[in-house]
Amino acid sequence: MSDDLDDIQAIFFEECNEGLAVAEEGLSTMADGDTSADVIAGVFRAVHSIKGGAGAFGHERLQSFSHIFENLLDEVRAGRIEPTAHICKNMLLAFDVLSDHVQAAQGHAEVPDDAAMLATLEALLVEGAGDTPAAETTAEASTPAVEGEADEFGFMPVVVDIEDLDGESDPFMDLGDGDAEESTAAAGWSIRFAPSRDAMANGSEPLLVLRELERMGGEVVAVETASLPPLRELDPEGAYFAWSITMPASVTRSDIEEAFDFVAPDSVVDIVEGETMPSHDSEPAERPGAEPEAEDQPVSAAPSPSVAAAESEPSALPVKAVPAASPAEAKALEAPQNIRVDVSKLDMLLNLVGELVIRNSILADRLSSADQQRVELPELARLTREIQDNVMALRAQPIRQAFSRVPRMLRELCSATNKDVALEVSGEATEVDKSVIEKIGEPLTHMIRNAVDHGIESSEERVAKGKPAQGNLKLSAEQRGARIFLRVADDGRGIDRERVLAKAVEKGIVAADATLSDEEIDNLICAPGFSTAETISSISGRGVGMDVVRSNVEALGGRIEITSAPGKGTTFTMILPLTLAILDGMVVRLCGQRYVLPLSNVVETVQPEPGQMRPVANSSEVIDMRGTYVPVKRLSELFQLPPADREDEDSVVIIVETDAGNVGLMVDTIEDRREVVIKSLDQNLYPIRGLGGATILGDGSIALILDIEALVASANSPNKFVLKGMAA
Amino acid sequence: MNATDTADLNTMTAASVQATETVDDAERKIVTFLLGKQTFGIDMSALIEIREWEDPTPLPSVPAYIKGVTNLRGHVVPVVGLAERLGWEPSVLHARSCILVVNIEGKHAGFLVDEVADIVSVADSAIQPAPEVEVTETSVIRGLVEIGQRSKESADQKDQTMVSLLDLDKLSPTRNLDLAA
Repeated sequence: MSDDLDDIQAIFFEECNEGLAVAEEGLSTMADGDTSADVIAGVFRAVHSIKGGAGAFGHERLQSFSHIFENLLDEVRAGRIEPTAHICKNMLLAFDVLSDHVQAAQGHAEVPDDAAMLATLEALLVEGAGDTPAAETTAEASTPAVEGEADEFGFMPVVVDIEDLDGESDPFMDLGDGDAEESTAAAGWSIRFAPSRDAMANGSEPLLVLRELERMGGEVVAVETASLPPLRELDPEGAYFAWSITMPASVTRSDIEEAFDFVAPDSVVDIVEGETMPSHDSEPAERPGAEPEAEDQPVSAAPSPSVAAAESEPSALPVKAVPAASPAEAKALEAPQNIRVDVSKLDMLLNLVGELVIRNSILADRLSSADQQRVELPELARLTREIQDNVMALRAQPIRQAFSRVPRMLRELCSATNKDVALEVSGEATEVDKSVIEKIGEPLTHMIRNAVDHGIESSEERVAKGKPAQGNLKLSAEQRGARIFLRVADDGRGIDRERVLAKAVEKGIVAADATLSDEEIDNLICAPGFSTAETISSISGRGVGMDVVRSNVEALGGRIEITSAPGKGTTFTMILPLTLAILDGMVVRLCGQRYVLPLSNVVETVQPEPGQMRPVANSSEVIDMRGTYVPVKRLSELFQLPPADREDEDSVVIIVETDAGNVGLMVDTIEDRREVVIKSLDQNLYPIRGLGGATILGDGSIALILDIEALVASANSPNKFVLKGMAA
Repeated sequence: MNATDTADLNTMTAASVQATETVDDAERKIVTFLLGKQTFGIDMSALIEIREWEDPTPLPSVPAYIKGVTNLRGHVVPVVGLAERLGWEPSVLHARSCILVVNIEGKHAGFLVDEVADIVSVADSAIQPAPEVEVTETSVIRGLVEIGQRSKESADQKDQTMVSLLDLDKLSPTRNLDLAA
């Protein structure tokens, strides 16, 4: 049982996180000035569901905070509080506290101190109510809810008191009769729908029918609560209400009947054409709220007490306040259906498909081409490839997930550094493999911290320089071929190359007399242990930031580019592979072994002519490439393999692109070009510098995948391949 | 390995003798194998499979005792020369050379040994702690146990052999790195 509850709770937290993302996006949109009803409703719904779940699982602090937050949002949604910039800003701050609460409820963090934020929200609520007298009655109507809020049982605040349920009076249910009448007048069909008592036990959910009708343009004009028993006799799973619904004349009878296809057998459904309501339905305007039969409740104006008692949300409550189905919710019903899948299952699938690809190449290797045709191997290969692509697509996620935490981080950075920075995000729909998304979070954080702390100047400094007072940070993602380009661009002061160089000399990273190009100097900020910050702030300046960025990006098989214009800004570009599981590679042979070079590194290949290779001092060589001398490394020497017994002219030099410029790698022969499935070495061993992993080739043998960057870097360093800690 | 059925007769009696001495004593199965002139044993529960020797793909910049990696049903598994790992001369490959693929804390590794001998049951109480005499690495030997060895001349002949039980955790190819980290 508790396991089940844990499972449900895990789903709740997942939904919380999705809800938070939606809320944040909506709030940011509002802060940017778009305060349309859809946006506000979206935020409201997100916060509302968090509150609902929090109550059900007994997260009281989360629930009480989200409740107040929701109240404010509700007022804004109803138009009683103007969504001014001030309100939006405070709502964003409240959102931050809400995220902290969610974290705390998950046990990931301490419960935040929300007293100040609560006070602010309460103040805004009071202010809002005071400003618009028209809203006062409604604000009061929800007061009991606010008081009942801190209920020790964690029960949801509900705008219903027990007397209502006892059927004596429904003071709140006569709001907005006028609306109901108006829409009745405009309707072409009048429908009365009274689901049977055990409709829900039969699995027929009246809410779905109502939503379907609403989607077709229908409107609930009255709810009969007459059959609602006193609370102690109430069966929480029973259906007690009946609804009167009006439909526009444009809807056909068969469409309406179709909506009722799946209602429980003994439900009452009366469909009457014309403007008059069926006789057994009471006239709402004549006896407002007094008559037990005549309880109408305009769904759009106030929380309906129990339309959704049977809402499938895990709730311990028989009765619970839920906002009525809004048009947007009805729209959501039409949205594509999704299922949740454990990522490990996807990983397993990906592994299996990888195996399938390998088996396929084994078959291709072993069968003659006539036999391949005979058994339709090419067809099988095509299918396999398609499956592979589709599985990869399953793992692809919009990069938005990685971007989503940036706005909050930026807000916190801005308040910590007293800077004013606007964020511009583009390309957040770009899809990349999940593993990439998981791993770019940290580099992204460092790059943004760096941009705000070092790049963008304070407002005064900016104004003095004739720039707009507000700094600008652009975050963008785009796909080019099999690579993702992720950019963080600021319009700050740019890299102070003199200072960077001086600092690098001071820290012994470069020699004092070294002459470096601008580009080389810019790249120094990624050198280990480098930091120019005068004081070490909590944000950056420990000299680890950009070093981490660089190593993380390299670990992902990507690289980082820095461009900077003094006074104008700096742009960091992370260039990452789309996936970490499959690599387009060139298979080469060397001393009887096969190796795979990532094709993305390969510039060109050349078979050296006699005299094209020239020895230079201390046993290094260069190759003359159309007048440019490119250093050449013999792979056999890098790997300490027995020297190849072949002439240079029989070998192949592969020119590869690296951070340190182009380098030629000498191998014996080139065998093939193919996509390989990357198997990491650290699954059973540990990562080896210079190797990006291994792959299994068509004949079942293992080929090592070269990590060109690391390989060349280690070849250039004096202590090549020193593996730390290997004592034996 | 198909010889083990008959071979077990003797070792089982030896083991059962020990078992009667201490009644409520847990037994464990060990796989014994030869390396050089010595008999070693590992816990049967750690064994995944025994494979024929096949040249693994050599790795650059690894200690000499890591012979390379091999493909174990789609997994890339390191192969360790156990003799070198123990600081001995490398094993000479021959027809009975084989690789014991074991599971060490979730990581798979293959160990090259000279010949797999037997599967025997031993009582926990029969395992003596390793004397601290080894100079190189005492810790890799978890304990010593005497077993009756199947004799090639006569099935009746009881011939006690000392088996050194290896502590696989200590032999994991990732161990030194873990310690350094």
